[in-house]
Amino acid sequence: MTHDVIRHLLDDYVTGELTEDARAPVADHVATCAICAAEVESLNRIIARAAELPKSIDPPAEAWSNIRAAIERDKEAVTAHRVSSIAGIWRRPYVLAAAAVLLVVLSSGGTALYMSERSSDEDSSRSASLNSASGATPASLAAFTIEENNYLRNVAVLQDLLDQQEASLAPETVAQLKASLRTIDEAILEARNALARDPANKMLIEMLSGTYRQKVDLLRRTAEMTRGS
Amino acid sequence: MSAVVSDSVGPNLSTIGEENAAALDSIRRAQSGDVDAFELLYREYAGRVYALCLRLKAGDSADATELMQDVFVKAWRRLETFRGECAFSSWLHRLAVNTMLENARSDSRRIARVLPMDDTSRLAGAARSSGIDLKMDMEDAIASLPKGARLAFVLHDVEGYQHQEIAEQLSVSVGTVKAQLHRARRLLRERLER
Repeated sequence: MTHDVIRHLLDDYVTGELTEDARAPVADHVATCAICAAEVESLNRIIARAAELPKSIDPPAEAWSNIRAAIERDKEAVTAHRVSSIAGIWRRPYVLAAAAVLLVVLSSGGTALYMSERSSDEDSSRSASLNSASGATPASLAAFTIEENNYLRNVAVLQDLLDQQEASLAPETVAQLKASLRTIDEAILEARNALARDPANKMLIEMLSGTYRQKVDLLRRTAEMTRGS
Repeated sequence: MSAVVSDSVGPNLSTIGEENAAALDSIRRAQSGDVDAFELLYREYAGRVYALCLRLKAGDSADATELMQDVFVKAWRRLETFRGECAFSSWLHRLAVNTMLENARSDSRRIARVLPMDDTSRLAGAARSSGIDLKMDMEDAIASLPKGARLAFVLHDVEGYQHQEIAEQLSVSVGTVKAQLHRARRLLRERLER
């Protein structure tokens, strides 16, 4: 190898990045060429000085407070986005429709209850047990999962009861009830899917729990209404 | 056959196996949203990240502080993407280089309108140009390098990254990295040893 070729290999030579085959002729040349030997020595000094530079330098003291402030702003923005997303679910037309229908059904049920005072001990007992499902909002997903199973059991019991007594309700009330249940079920499904994506979101748990309570409450009140019809 | 072997000297950083238990615990807690745990990570790694930022930013402490803050805020936002496949310090350093390059791209679009870019050393070196005639301090000499040469030198000779890693980070060829490194060393020799 010529002097000019070897000079281009000196960087890799000093950092040990040449193959053994290439290293030997370069070493031989450096041993006899004063220019290349001086360059190797100079490169070694630069590389050694770079290696001696401090790896750590204290940043300005205020840097962390700036970073923390930016993180807190980030967290607030994320929370606001989540609240906005959840609020968005309730702004959907069918959820609003469900709420409206629910009011109508509950109002009809209240009127029907007022008009009738008939009841049975068996129904009162069942109703009392169903009321226990509409307790406080569970604090965690695990607690909610247990509570959800209670809701589903109670919904099934009430649904059976209503199916048996449907004939005793006015046709328009039955239609309102079914429409209302459909829209509540859609709201439950949407909240359930959102919770699957964000299991730690307490607001979603609270919302889903509240929607289940509404469904149980609607079915329970309608069942009481049928007892009075 | 190439006379040069593939890079075998990795960056002089801790590996995942050497990440201490306290740091791993802080990473996990921070990933679940614990800002206090993230502060512990900051206290552990800020010095190294700041040293890198200071050299990438040609010794400008205000720019370096701003870059370091950007890096840690981005680290917080992207923390859940850290899977421990490399050392946390390496992950932070990569984030610092990427953030610097992203900022440089948007800066260059703005600066290009008012300053010719054929000699980027003017940006970093202008304030120090009178000092280059004198024997320079190593940090000053690095700061006076043209940007491409400075990046290659800081990442390879100071931080210990391999040619291939630098090439990937800077989106250039290994040959370009080596050429910039050669240029950086030559300029440093001229400025430090005249």
